[in-house]
Amino acid sequence: MTEPRHTHPVTPLVTMVRAVPVLIFGVFVTGGGEATNVLGGLGTGGVIVLILVGVGIYAYFSWTRLTFFYDDDGDLRINSGVFVRNERRVQLSRLQSVDVTQPILARLFGLAELRPEVAGASSEGTKLQYLALDDAQQLRAELLARASGLRREEGAAVATAPEQVLVQVPSPHLLASLVLQPTTIFLVLLIPTVVAVAGVSGVWELGLTGILLVFAPVTVVGGQFLRYFGFTVAQSPDGLRLRFGLTSHRSQTVPPGRVQAVRIERPLMWKPWGWVRVVVNVAGTMGGEEGEDRPSVILPVAPLPVARTLLQQVLPGVDPFSVDLTPAPAAARWRAPLQYKQLGVGATPVAFVTRRGWLVPKWDVVPHARTQSVRLTQGPWQRWLGLATVSVDSTPGPVSIAALHQDARTARILAQEQADRAGLARRQAGPGQPESYPVASPTVPPPGIDSDLP
Amino acid sequence: MSALQRAEGMLPSMSIDPFVADARGWIPVNARLATARRLIAMSVTTVVMLIAVVALAVGGLPELGFVALLVGLVVLAWLWWLIGRQVRAIGYSERTDDLIVVSGILFRRLVLVPYGRMQLVDVRRGPLERYFGLATVQLHTAAATTDATIPGLPPNEAGRLRDKLAALGEQRSAGL
Repeated sequence: MTEPRHTHPVTPLVTMVRAVPVLIFGVFVTGGGEATNVLGGLGTGGVIVLILVGVGIYAYFSWTRLTFFYDDDGDLRINSGVFVRNERRVQLSRLQSVDVTQPILARLFGLAELRPEVAGASSEGTKLQYLALDDAQQLRAELLARASGLRREEGAAVATAPEQVLVQVPSPHLLASLVLQPTTIFLVLLIPTVVAVAGVSGVWELGLTGILLVFAPVTVVGGQFLRYFGFTVAQSPDGLRLRFGLTSHRSQTVPPGRVQAVRIERPLMWKPWGWVRVVVNVAGTMGGEEGEDRPSVILPVAPLPVARTLLQQVLPGVDPFSVDLTPAPAAARWRAPLQYKQLGVGATPVAFVTRRGWLVPKWDVVPHARTQSVRLTQGPWQRWLGLATVSVDSTPGPVSIAALHQDARTARILAQEQADRAGLARRQAGPGQPESYPVASPTVPPPGIDSDLP
Repeated sequence: MSALQRAEGMLPSMSIDPFVADARGWIPVNARLATARRLIAMSVTTVVMLIAVVALAVGGLPELGFVALLVGLVVLAWLWWLIGRQVRAIGYSERTDDLIVVSGILFRRLVLVPYGRMQLVDVRRGPLERYFGLATVQLHTAAATTDATIPGLPPNEAGRLRDKLAALGEQRSAGL
């Protein structure tokens, strides 16, 4: 067991400052009147100060009661809670990724938040808020090193594993790609439509709405631009490192072998530039309410060859473009008139590939060894047309794999073959080796793997 | 060789129906499940129907009340028939490497779960299920979208299935 440590002493102050906007907003919404009366004419400012002091005291005790250390098994323990004590043990062998994020306020103080992600657990309880940025990065390197089986000698520092930058997304590219998204174009087209309707119908309030609608695409593009600004992907022995964000800087690490499925998206308007986006499902990160904070987009925009190189890093040996996809039969036109030309399914020796989408054609890829289960579904309309859909279930995440509207006669074979391939791939990988799956030889050897790790 | 040719080579009997059972056929679930489901669906319908009929009769529209009664009776008959078909459509098959569950008539589904991918197996028995001597077995994989649920199993069979699946899962487990 190591010496219990505290988070950075400035933490209570940051918590207090963070509460200010909420409080001011709250006081304005409620008018602050009643509270002021009850407290005998303290004034609105006085009420805010009083509550702030309360928040500060609580934050101080939270800080004193939060400690973290490594236990005798080498796992991370986090003890926290003022009234209700919470002792959490983060089993490092189950570590999925470690994020260092810098919300804007923490950034002003030179602090960062550390989030070790463990399969199936919410990250709320494992969050270490806040640490000095250097400490956070040091601790992350330490956790990842311990997770990959290296035991730290007491007192010896663990160097951050060396890394090699694979991709850096230039800001003009990012901006252009966001502007050329179907969502943005739809929102922009909405403006003249609403204005035209207003002009024809003579309802001028509607015209005003049309003018306000200008803000919608600006907000969407601006928000994503700030979020993905300066997107950098780097390869290091402890996994893929993602760094991005302008106002709130994030740094995420995806340990090797945790990527379960990949989606490559190419919105129609990106086609002339040959750009694509890469999205992944990572094991153990649950979708849903906190989905925003999990690694999912591993490349917001890049030319296709760059994306393929990156794909070789996350799923070595998997190349969805190396196989000719079987298109959906002509009857699919009547079930999916817009996207039927895009529909396709195929299998490489190591992965199952499907293609679909109209405005945003997508290639979804899941390695056979990562196939959880296979589903065959058929609705009445599909049945009438002799079609059926084969879906492959992956861990929760943005990527879902479905061979839509394939020939009903082959669909069952397709499903059965995929289940068989999944079984075969697993037997080859053998039990207890979740990180490996059969690969003849990785096309791109992971760089820096033999470098000076402690 | 196309997938279709392979298909015909492997399963010559296979027609256009992709949900056809293999040589051993689907194991059906217990018919008591239909009774249990009918009990719930039909009592709800009956209550709604009676409320409508009484309200209309009291409200001075006995003719409409009569129509509501007829409609209600037709719905009841339809439910009786539909639930029977739905329950008969549920089936499963334990094969060498995977478990198959089929269900649905209008929207048909077939789920293939390789044994090595099972994370856990649940056996559930609600109050009504206990009364009818039934149990539900549910398989979970690391994917939340895997929906492999077998309702309407006799408790012994459910227990046997759970133990067998757990053992097979253990044997062929391959992590995530």
